[in-house]
Amino acid sequence: MAKIRSIIGYMWAIAAIIMVFATFLGSNFFSRALVAASGVKISPRYSGGEVVRSVDHGAYRTLVHRPVFDALIGEKSEGFIQLNWEPLAGLPGVIEESVDYSGDGKADFSVRLDTKTGETSLTPIDPLVLSIEMVVKLDNGWMVRVRLKKG
Amino acid sequence: MKTDPHKAPQGESIGTTIVLTMVMAVTTVVMFSQGKMPQDPKELIALALTILFANTIFFLLIYTGRTDRYRAIYFSTFAVALVISFISHMFEVRGSMSLSEAKVFQCEVPFCHLVIPMTLVPVALTKTIIFPGSLIGGYASIASMFVIWIGATLAFGRGFCSWGCFYGGLDDGFSRVLKRPVIKNINPKWIYLPFAVLLFVVLTAAAYLSPVYCSWLCPFKAVTEFKAVTSTTVLIQTIIFVSLFIGLVIVLPILTKKRTQCAFFCPFGAMQSVTNKINAFDVRIDKEKCLKCKRCIQVCPTLSMNEESLEQGRTRITCMKCGKCIDNCPKGAIGYHIKGTDIPGKRNVYRLLFLFSAFLFLAIFSSHIIEDGIMRILKLITTGSMI
Repeated sequence: MAKIRSIIGYMWAIAAIIMVFATFLGSNFFSRALVAASGVKISPRYSGGEVVRSVDHGAYRTLVHRPVFDALIGEKSEGFIQLNWEPLAGLPGVIEESVDYSGDGKADFSVRLDTKTGETSLTPIDPLVLSIEMVVKLDNGWMVRVRLKKG
Repeated sequence: MKTDPHKAPQGESIGTTIVLTMVMAVTTVVMFSQGKMPQDPKELIALALTILFANTIFFLLIYTGRTDRYRAIYFSTFAVALVISFISHMFEVRGSMSLSEAKVFQCEVPFCHLVIPMTLVPVALTKTIIFPGSLIGGYASIASMFVIWIGATLAFGRGFCSWGCFYGGLDDGFSRVLKRPVIKNINPKWIYLPFAVLLFVVLTAAAYLSPVYCSWLCPFKAVTEFKAVTSTTVLIQTIIFVSLFIGLVIVLPILTKKRTQCAFFCPFGAMQSVTNKINAFDVRIDKEKCLKCKRCIQVCPTLSMNEESLEQGRTRITCMKCGKCIDNCPKGAIGYHIKGTDIPGKRNVYRLLFLFSAFLFLAIFSSHIIEDGIMRILKLITTGSMI
């Protein structure tokens, strides 16, 4: 029994060396496999959530993300929706955009962004739309997050 | 040289050392260069110096039989090179060390292993990573860091904290500045603090879906990247980062000769302690040879040795496998051990197998960072700028 345990121990120790090689040589493969197998994504708190609609304005486009209410378990009562405008080079001085995030065919809010100063104003139409949460200038455009209440 | 069971650890014969170093040399040349030699002379010099440095350290590890002394030189060099390389890279791509909101919301923040404990609960429940980094590709991607963590954990458990962590070399280095500690009596209960920090950051990260440790408690923000100070909150965060860095990574390690950040605060280290159970190597004490002189208890930088350890013949769960107790034992009673084998058994074989996996990991993981660090220094000398 002691001999078997000893042999297993040595095999385990040699496997550790192989593991080190595999870790570095197979890093790309294992990284992709890990992401594919687990299905993980970056938290929508940072990524803004999946883009559900893209509106083409010629020189620039608007990306409308899904409303994010994600919590650790279930959903929170308040969340946000993110809009991105890109590319930076194609943006006009002032952007005015009406957004229908609920998909009922009527605009839920409209937002106005001065791309020179970052000054933003919101006109809520739906009562579930609360306020501007943040405005950030990105490397390739602007993003705005609008606070929402869950209906 | 053969191991004398009644003396402190001794190394291998010169012949064996040369043969083993040749094996490591071939491995490091292939792994560091990834099969292609750089064309730029500066890059070539940096690569050559990195390979030479790694193999010199490995030669000394094998020939002298001393583990901690030479490991610490390499490990601390890794940490210093990381700081040089990382900060230069940040200035190169961002123009400063500060982290802008744009980088956060473009998910371009480099990921490090210290975030891993906080991500596990949200990953399990929401399938999302609560960190604004890149999943695959880019600089320090999330998936690649997970793969490295899993590989290291399976290979040598908490040995990662002495053979892989690119921050650990900082407090390890500072803990060696003085010959004798100024603060000698440290309450052993401090080793439970990292477990409390771990529990706190895991729970708060899950509750707020945000990496709380990174936002509020990480001392290493002070030497990598932090948010530009634009509000009182960020100012408070920055003061915390800098204070913790000065306190836990510089001042206390110098005064206590302990790795205070790693042993008494780091939540990742606490998590790694658990993984010490699921790998092939541990550090064991030959109770028959042990004189109970307690030298090992005095020198252990993480308080992972106590009288109970001597009675039981094994270190505590928090052992980072640095080898300091092994180097300092006057009777050679302490050594690396392969689980399932005899004690003391073939002590040198156990040590060589451990060193091959641990040193190889350290050498490969650090190679590009040390190489880049050397490159930046060469650039500074020749052009007056690291960027």
